[in-house]
Amino acid sequence: MKKFYLMFALLISLAVLAACSSGDDEANGASGSEGSSGADSITAWAWDPAFNIAALEKAKEAYDGDVEVKIIENAQDDIIQKLNTGLSSGTTKGMPNIVLIEDYRAQSFLQAYPDAFYPLTDVINSDDFADYKIATTSFDGEQYGLPFDSGVAGLYVRTDYLEEAGYTPEDLTNITWDEYIEIGKAVKEATGKNMLTLDPNDLGQIRMMIQTNGSWYVDEDGSTPNLEGNESLAKAFETYKKMMDADIGKIVSDWSQFVGAFNSGDVASVPTGNWITPSIKQAEDQSGKWAVVPMPRLDMEGAVNASNLGGSSWYVLNVDGKEEAADFMLQTFGSNVDLYQTLVKDIGALGTYSAAAEGDAYAVEDEFFGGQQLLADLSTWTDEIPGVNYGLHTYAIEDILVTGMQDYLNGTELTKVLENVQAQAEAQLK
Amino acid sequence: MKNLKRIFIYTFLSLAALVSIFPFLWMLVSITNKSVDVTQGRLLPGSHLVENMKTLFETVDIIPALTNSAIIAVITTLLTLLLASLAGYGFEIHRSKGKDIVFNILLLSMMIPFAAIMVPLYRMFGSISDTAPLFGIDSLAAVILPTATTAFFIFFFRQNTKMFPKDLVEAGRIDGLSEIGVFFRIYMPTMKTTYAAAAIISFMNSWNNYLWPLVILQSPEKRTIPLLISNLGSSYSPDYGVIMSAIVIATLPTALVFFLMQKHFVAGMMGSVKG
Repeated sequence: MKKFYLMFALLISLAVLAACSSGDDEANGASGSEGSSGADSITAWAWDPAFNIAALEKAKEAYDGDVEVKIIENAQDDIIQKLNTGLSSGTTKGMPNIVLIEDYRAQSFLQAYPDAFYPLTDVINSDDFADYKIATTSFDGEQYGLPFDSGVAGLYVRTDYLEEAGYTPEDLTNITWDEYIEIGKAVKEATGKNMLTLDPNDLGQIRMMIQTNGSWYVDEDGSTPNLEGNESLAKAFETYKKMMDADIGKIVSDWSQFVGAFNSGDVASVPTGNWITPSIKQAEDQSGKWAVVPMPRLDMEGAVNASNLGGSSWYVLNVDGKEEAADFMLQTFGSNVDLYQTLVKDIGALGTYSAAAEGDAYAVEDEFFGGQQLLADLSTWTDEIPGVNYGLHTYAIEDILVTGMQDYLNGTELTKVLENVQAQAEAQLK
Repeated sequence: MKNLKRIFIYTFLSLAALVSIFPFLWMLVSITNKSVDVTQGRLLPGSHLVENMKTLFETVDIIPALTNSAIIAVITTLLTLLLASLAGYGFEIHRSKGKDIVFNILLLSMMIPFAAIMVPLYRMFGSISDTAPLFGIDSLAAVILPTATTAFFIFFFRQNTKMFPKDLVEAGRIDGLSEIGVFFRIYMPTMKTTYAAAAIISFMNSWNNYLWPLVILQSPEKRTIPLLISNLGSSYSPDYGVIMSAIVIATLPTALVFFLMQKHFVAGMMGSVKG
């Protein structure tokens, strides 16, 4: 009798597994997307009503085609879940025509579902966009993504705190992280405020640091982990530890604490992507007390004072209505200079369309940042960001690095730590 | 000595109560505060309640989301109660050679995580989308059907039916009731507490269900309340005061259902332990 049960258990699990993997060819036929045309409405998914959704609304206004554009807001994690389920089930039912994907994740989608995306190689001119975006939005020689918002990073600083410690924003312009730490110590001594927030579970800080030197977690091929022997990463780890040792970092554990820390004036600077601007401005009483300077660089030969955090691009799915969707993209984000001016003026969304970076809207002086021409500055730095291939495993490797970082901070030797994480990454990502 | 023990027990219990209630308290306090205050961890009530509620109702379609959630939860609960109790009754009362094998296979299905069957399920609903759009992807029926009854509830009812006096079934049959009649007129009224407990669990599961509705529902007007709340948190600068307000509103119905049926619920759970 026992055997009988066991057999049944086996049978059931087999059936479940088979259901997950079978019938791929059938699925491709069932999608029936070949040679379709004449869709009268297209759907677009994106996140953040104040930013990406607002940008889509503006694009919809600027677009003069016959096709109706439906804009649907979903949280970023939700989009990933929905896309993964939908695309791996092989049916294209319920999938959108246009979707926004974060650059760090783009390559894994393009590789996992090669037929699911519609190439834009012949639709847009990839030379029109910031160089560093192209590597992450193309795959196998085809351009799939339409590069959208820049994740160009800046060092947001509290000028009043700096002044108390005897510094001006100029003193923080084009410095190295080591110099930054020294200033941080002085600021802490003078004001009692921490220099920045550090989130042990989010190594965005490390990502920004190594990109200043054109390095990443993976090799050029986008999949081989490049951790052991990666000098930039070693340097970034050392710098991170120095910050901890110097006690200039306020530890936070999630987004709300991160935002809370600078809104309540607990930190003197915020090194992060430019999309943080609206959150910084949320604390209206701090108007005029902020400035933004270029990102500090790693103290290494060849590192530059420009980096990136986040940023995303539009993708057209290979489903009914793809021609219409591609046309919508071309007419709006792919060529419309005026649209980019509106985006900058009304939303503060900084695109990566090079031709658009010279209009009046970029020259606006921002009172909150003491009259700085913030957007013009950011867009200058955008051109200097070293291009890297983010590859397939950014977040998977980062999960491994988070524990590696803890070991390192607890006293394990750095070479040993990097050796370990390399071994783990290789074992896990095979 | 006895007093000392008492003091110790009460302090411990109060601490435990505080720990479990604190998140709710903080949630209630947060709806009266501005987003900036929430991120700073303010513990005192503020004066922003009206503004938060106003923003919530003006910028977010919370009423349609509540309606969707309510429709789904109520139908799912009714279906669950009917189907699972019928099955549980059948498994326990009726004799059949293979019933234990069938029941054990059913229990085995509890071991398969939902994530594993999600992709095939999506495929199934996708394949009927064209012929039966009312049951396909992006329909409320597609949310309800896979969750309408689960092995857990059948198990739950079977365990509780073990306590049900079988003589009553015999008595009913002798008095001329049909099998269906025995079930509806004798079994159902006797098992009220079990039904209440199952209703609460099923309603809460359905009301809080996130993954499956997320995947299968596409149009914004069909969103359920957990999906709506997930969306609110998606922005780069979320308004935590408004998010908290939405969460409080989303919590009310389950709390209400629980308090209404609390007495039966406790009795029902005790029954299942005894059984």
